[in-house]
Amino acid sequence: MTCKHEDTRNCFVLEGKMALPNQYFAGRLGSKFIIALRDKKKIMGVRCQKCNKTFIPPREYCEQCWSKIAENWVDLGSEGELVNFTVIRYNDKHLPKKAPYILGQIKLTGADTPLTHVIQGIDPKDVHVGMKVKAVFAEKTTNTIMDLDHFEPV
Amino acid sequence: MTEYFGATVADIFNTMPERFKPEEAKDVDIVIGYEATGEGGGKWTATIKHGTLKVEKVEELKGCKTTIHADAEIFVGVTLGKITAIDALTSQKLRVVGDARLLMTLLPKIFVPFTVTPRKKAVSARAILATVESRFRPEKAEGVTMNIGYDLTGENGGQWTLMIKDGRCTVREGFAEDLAVKLIMDADVYAGMMLGTIDGASAFTSGQVRIEGDMMAAAATTKFFHKYVDPNAAEAEELICLRVTNSIDQRFASGPVMGRWFAGLKEKKFMANKCPECGRTQIPPREICAICRVRVHEFVELGPKGTVTNFDIVYFASPDPLTGAVRDTPYTPIYVVLDGASEQDAFAFELKKEDIDRIKVGAKVRPVWADKPTGSFRDVLYFELDR
Repeated sequence: MTCKHEDTRNCFVLEGKMALPNQYFAGRLGSKFIIALRDKKKIMGVRCQKCNKTFIPPREYCEQCWSKIAENWVDLGSEGELVNFTVIRYNDKHLPKKAPYILGQIKLTGADTPLTHVIQGIDPKDVHVGMKVKAVFAEKTTNTIMDLDHFEPV
Repeated sequence: MTEYFGATVADIFNTMPERFKPEEAKDVDIVIGYEATGEGGGKWTATIKHGTLKVEKVEELKGCKTTIHADAEIFVGVTLGKITAIDALTSQKLRVVGDARLLMTLLPKIFVPFTVTPRKKAVSARAILATVESRFRPEKAEGVTMNIGYDLTGENGGQWTLMIKDGRCTVREGFAEDLAVKLIMDADVYAGMMLGTIDGASAFTSGQVRIEGDMMAAAATTKFFHKYVDPNAAEAEELICLRVTNSIDQRFASGPVMGRWFAGLKEKKFMANKCPECGRTQIPPREICAICRVRVHEFVELGPKGTVTNFDIVYFASPDPLTGAVRDTPYTPIYVVLDGASEQDAFAFELKKEDIDRIKVGAKVRPVWADKPTGSFRDVLYFELDR
């Protein structure tokens, strides 16, 4: 309406980029977790002896009884069961893989909480809850959770 | 005695006399009683009078103006600052009978804070020399036959010879007859060099190390051995910290009204727009008058000269939150009502640095333009006094 009468001769658009420096500290537990992935190819959780629960990713305190569990590391192996998933169908710069890819929640054998990670090696239409998957570690490590590259069907 | 946070309760009281600041305690006359309960605890009194301090271990706290009670662990923790005094007080883990403010006010004033000096197990020169044979790297010393003497002085000293021959290294006490080189230094300097706490080159130039004989041979010996690693050193914990600089796409669309403002700057003109109802001149122009809420169409050129209505002289500039960079100070933003503008519509510009000393409210100013305006805010370099 008004646009028709607007004088647009002086309109212009500026494209630019903003540099946003970021720093992420993984924390003491987070660092140990990533280092185990990176150097030993092991997925580590922490266990609350009182509640008989094993948590992954590791946390300092048991969320149920609040006791300190930071030192009770357990090796969770590299296999587990898919308990939930979604399919990412769009590409964006911050996403770890090219779309479409599957983001799953994997309950590792012996863990009581699931780990969210990428599932590869299976078509999105064939993926199903309950399937057994195993970890594939990254060749090139980056000091991030992507040192565990993805999970694939057993 | 039981240790908490690397110190015992007794340590606190034993070090009290040396931490005492008599100058600060000149006018203090007080007896403070301390009771640390539990393992490693006990009772002490500190008598402060005429700038002197007397610390006693006692059976009973008697004649004290103020007494402080806590579990031994809390006691050490609070003294070291590992536990905040306020927390300990509010949770009743630390009780003060008498003047509780004393903890925060008087004590920090008259005592140097108690600290724990880390007890590092010293490594002796002898222990380091005992590892020489196992640290030898035959592949680096091929064909080398050499005797190196160490004359280590001081308490932990002694005389040793490192004998390198046929791809083997043996250490024995005393000097061999044909030493290629002899190094003379204090045993502790040797230990420091091996541990990396003393720089070898500067120890030599400062005269802490003397070399007799073939100096080049002495320099070459380091590569024959693996580095000494202190078996007592705690392995440093690796912590992961990721640093990433993200690039975020930004897009600015001027719209017709701001577009006209920038087009004006390119021609060295200030183009405001004038509200058809209240007549105010909006700078920079907006599509709608912010007061009357009616569409504004008429553009008017203001200035270029104007009158200063307010100014700030900035001496402390806020750092750029992204880069930490701080601009040069002092700088002076001035608020200018350009000629022809309605009086409430001042706009901020920067003042020329050289004019900062002479700026005042009501001063007449004129813009200084960039040589080649591009249609941006940077086209106005600054305003200067118009005289």
